[in-house]
Amino acid sequence: MKITWNWLGEYVDLTGLTPEQVAEDLTSAGIPVEKMASMNLGVEGVVVGLIESVTPHPQADRLRVCHIDTGTTKLQIVTGATNVQAGQKVPVALVGAKLPEKHIELANFRGLPSEGMLCSASELGLDDKFLPKDQAEGIWIFPEDAPLGENVVEYLGLNDVVMELELTPNRSDCLSFRGVAYEVAALYSREVHMPDVDASGVATVSDKPLSVRIDTALCTGYSGQVVTHLELGPSPMWMQMRLLAVGMRPINNLVDITNYVMFEWGQPLHAFDYDAIDNREIAVRQAKDREVLRTLDSQDRELTSGVIVISDHKKGLGLAGVMGGECSEVTDNTTTVVIESAMFDPMTTRRTSRLLQLRSEAALRFEKGLDPDAVLPALHRASALMVQYAGGQLLGNPVITGKNLVSPVAKVQILVRVARVAEVLGYAMDIEELEGFCHQLGLPAVREEAGLRVSVPARRPDLLREEDMIEEFARLAGFDRIPSTNLKGALSHGGLSKTQKLRRMTRDYMRNQGFDEVWTYSFVDGEVHRKLNIADDHELAHPMRLLNPLSEDREALRTTMLVPLLEVAKYNASRQWESLFIFELGTVFLPTAPNGDKGMMAPVEKKVLAGVGYGSVAKEPLYAGRNYDFFDIKGLVEGLFERLGIKDKVSFERMAYPYLHAGRSAEMLVGGKPIGKLGQIRKEVARTFDLASEVYYFEVEMEALMEMVSSHLYVAELPRYPHVERDLAVVVNRTLPVANLFSTVKAAAGSLLESVTVFDVYTGEHVGDEEKSAALRLVFRAPDRTLTENEVQIAVDQVLSQLNSNYGAVLRK
Amino acid sequence: MREQLLALQEQALVDLAEAEGNALDAWRVKYLGKKGELSLALRSMSKLSAEERPVVGQVANAVRETLEAAFASKFAEWEAKQAAIQEEKETLDITLPGRTRSVGAEHPLQKIIRRIEDIFIGFGFTVEEGPEVEWDYYNFEALNLPKDHPARDMQDTFYLSEELLMRTHTSPVQARTLEKRRPEWPIRIIVPGRVYRRDDDDATHSHAFTQVEGLVVGKGVRMSDLKGILLTFAKELFGENQEIRLRPSFFPFTEPSAEMDIRCIYCGGDGCSTCKHTGWIEVLGCGMVHPRVLEMGGYDPEEVTGFAFGMGVERIAMLLYKIEDIRQFYQNDLRLLKQFASLPE
Repeated sequence: MKITWNWLGEYVDLTGLTPEQVAEDLTSAGIPVEKMASMNLGVEGVVVGLIESVTPHPQADRLRVCHIDTGTTKLQIVTGATNVQAGQKVPVALVGAKLPEKHIELANFRGLPSEGMLCSASELGLDDKFLPKDQAEGIWIFPEDAPLGENVVEYLGLNDVVMELELTPNRSDCLSFRGVAYEVAALYSREVHMPDVDASGVATVSDKPLSVRIDTALCTGYSGQVVTHLELGPSPMWMQMRLLAVGMRPINNLVDITNYVMFEWGQPLHAFDYDAIDNREIAVRQAKDREVLRTLDSQDRELTSGVIVISDHKKGLGLAGVMGGECSEVTDNTTTVVIESAMFDPMTTRRTSRLLQLRSEAALRFEKGLDPDAVLPALHRASALMVQYAGGQLLGNPVITGKNLVSPVAKVQILVRVARVAEVLGYAMDIEELEGFCHQLGLPAVREEAGLRVSVPARRPDLLREEDMIEEFARLAGFDRIPSTNLKGALSHGGLSKTQKLRRMTRDYMRNQGFDEVWTYSFVDGEVHRKLNIADDHELAHPMRLLNPLSEDREALRTTMLVPLLEVAKYNASRQWESLFIFELGTVFLPTAPNGDKGMMAPVEKKVLAGVGYGSVAKEPLYAGRNYDFFDIKGLVEGLFERLGIKDKVSFERMAYPYLHAGRSAEMLVGGKPIGKLGQIRKEVARTFDLASEVYYFEVEMEALMEMVSSHLYVAELPRYPHVERDLAVVVNRTLPVANLFSTVKAAAGSLLESVTVFDVYTGEHVGDEEKSAALRLVFRAPDRTLTENEVQIAVDQVLSQLNSNYGAVLRK
Repeated sequence: MREQLLALQEQALVDLAEAEGNALDAWRVKYLGKKGELSLALRSMSKLSAEERPVVGQVANAVRETLEAAFASKFAEWEAKQAAIQEEKETLDITLPGRTRSVGAEHPLQKIIRRIEDIFIGFGFTVEEGPEVEWDYYNFEALNLPKDHPARDMQDTFYLSEELLMRTHTSPVQARTLEKRRPEWPIRIIVPGRVYRRDDDDATHSHAFTQVEGLVVGKGVRMSDLKGILLTFAKELFGENQEIRLRPSFFPFTEPSAEMDIRCIYCGGDGCSTCKHTGWIEVLGCGMVHPRVLEMGGYDPEEVTGFAFGMGVERIAMLLYKIEDIRQFYQNDLRLLKQFASLPE
């Protein structure tokens, strides 16, 4: 909402105040003034002049010589503008004048002296965005009644300041000068004076000029006034300039008056061509389904029953509160109009204006809800202005109908308890002070035993309950008066939950392993699975989709962390990062409903830890030698499991994924339930992301890990007897997983076996082509004695025999 | 005999001075060995008279001690010299880089969240979380934002269905927490999390960003307590001398509502481009929990009151780290992220 200082001054006395001070005080009171600018950007010495004659320049085809009368002196001015004619009134910058971007001096154009300059609107520093095209191009041609010789700063009212208010949604009352005036009056204990709205014009006709019927509950008040004998023309310059200043395009006197009154009272008005109304009957009704109405932007709009239309018994005349119809538009031939001042359902107006994408100042005010107390004054005010500035005569009395206008709305009554004010704010105000604030706000208040009973006028629909009044008191007193205190009551135990602690620990672990933490967006391309070699019927290929995405590449909720991480890798790889180790602990969204009705149920949100790594293991090139590989990434997650104390519970099994290398990928399982996967990204998938090297990936579900983590640690007793080690190199089939050997060893060796590890895997000339030799180290120990050679040998023999029978393993020669 | 021993000692010391390496070993064998000259000399003591024997014995022991000490010292000297030679040979260029694995960087937003969490944990708060895909009810209705409420315009929303949406703020966790905890109080929580608004991404807008929400509900909770806790928080986060101010504002779920400004951390309030020459920077919205929200959560606003606040983590990170484009947090340019491997708090 934009306001100007002088316009505001019509409704509240601003004597002794400066725009700067009011802007600051409004801001501290919760009506932030975002911008403030003088309307005069440096115009000085420009007057209204009359062009007496225009002649061609004898030496230059493109120049004209104008003879100007400024009322006190005659000037010769050479101009390049083409829109000047004798008899026009124009802004004349005299010699010595200042314009925002120019200083005017005596000039000479091709041998002819030029004693000043004729100005365009933009040369006077005006934003010509809202000016009619014929006024925005070339010299600004003033209306004929512009007073000769008057300083244009006076004439155009440029000695004014425009303020832009950043209103919060609850303060729609300040979408009018009336509302802002009440706010300023409250801040400085002044009175609000709205203009006299006595509209006793020349109401002559005896028969009823108009009847109105309301056929829908979505219209709660409708008033109309017929005005005749109108002469369409430009509105007075001061009105045009004020509308321009608040961002409204001046159109003609009738439209400008309805807009002016809307800014003044906050009540949108509409003017229909009276002659377009069939049978002088207006009906306010809900549209029929698929009813078509051509709006005054010449577009045919198909309507639904959720839209309110103003109509006669034959046709629609306009979309209530949103836009008029073309058939009832005020045109050059219009002499009689109906001024409409009405109340339509805010939500319906909002939906309609959104549906048709018609956002206007009027729709904005309808949406926020109107003040029934302003409907009739606004009607009367507009009628009076049409009489005054458009030659109009009132035809009959206004038609008034609708429950909000016929029977006054009951005022909201709020009981404010003095003690409650202190309870909420933390400091006390006495009842006299609260009464004073009510008086400043223009809210009648009476004392009762329990406190203060406040009657809220309809212009403040945001004041509904005690807390609303407490906020009013607090902001008038100034929030600076609120002290800083400490919470009372019992101490509470703060902290992180177990899961939150473990997540922190996990992030710390990953960073200590040299992985940088990234944060990626949750939205991805809905077809991104194709980049991952994932078939269309795979579950990951059916993410939940947004109904209203901003773009195709952010239309769906990610089901895997892989894509965002590969995109980060791609971004950085293209910036010459030859090795990269990144992780994210983020959320994936897995649809819970099958195709068709997904979206009806919330997805499962899983916190996933995922990482991508490629390139040299060593940070320094000096020590480079080995690139990150499968066992690095496996070791990374094993280290995490060890840190969480769950390493023994996780097993790794070979598993094929569409986007992972068939021979270098694994699924991680706990008790048969998958909790994650890891492996090398398929070369062709990596290439899709412009990644040339071997890229490794892992992901684990955090919740699945957290469930397994024990809250207790009990120290195991330290062994009292020495262990015995035995190394066995066994030859087996090359494809046999060493883990199978381990499980056989563990099963066969009996309770004396403490651990089995692998310390070498050999393939080559000393074993067969299809064979490998695995060197296992078995450690035996008994808790209660030193083992004998014999005991160990028996166990080893059992192991060898079982390995042989299970896998044909033989001791390597 | 005595003269003979002293002469031996003298000769031995002369020899020792010359000896190096293997020669040292040979010297030791020659003079101090079992068949060495000193032993030989001592063996001939048996020929001495009973009177002479202890005297000469004494001299002989003295000579042995002298020679042994001289040898030990000479040997140590030689060893040190050898070690020095060896170390000279093994000398490294200690200016070459050490063998490290990179220290991973903490994401700047994570760093800020951790700091904020730790501050409020110190105040006795716990950390709550909630889903990012949220029901209209919790995101709007339970927060006093009925359908078609004009204030819904403030937050353009991504929808998944009529009722399901991407949460536009962390505030739904307020409603969820009230529902979960009722009728118990006090409630003292903060809620970090990702939120979504249907804004085109540019330097100051992001369709996804991060908030930290706070909620306190209890007996006699006042707006002055809100101010007190926010002041302490601001001092912890921005520095001991930080000042704050509250300005009236509007949120449907708080009444009274306020914006909290901090004194500009760049100019100290003198006015600069960051604070748009006002001396203050807006960092969070807050207020007293609206009685409707308490009622819908199952609490009696006459019995308990509360306050709530919410802040944008990106905004705070941008201020603290002088990051000028919000998109940088999600671009994950390692040249930027790596700086957070070592950044102090």
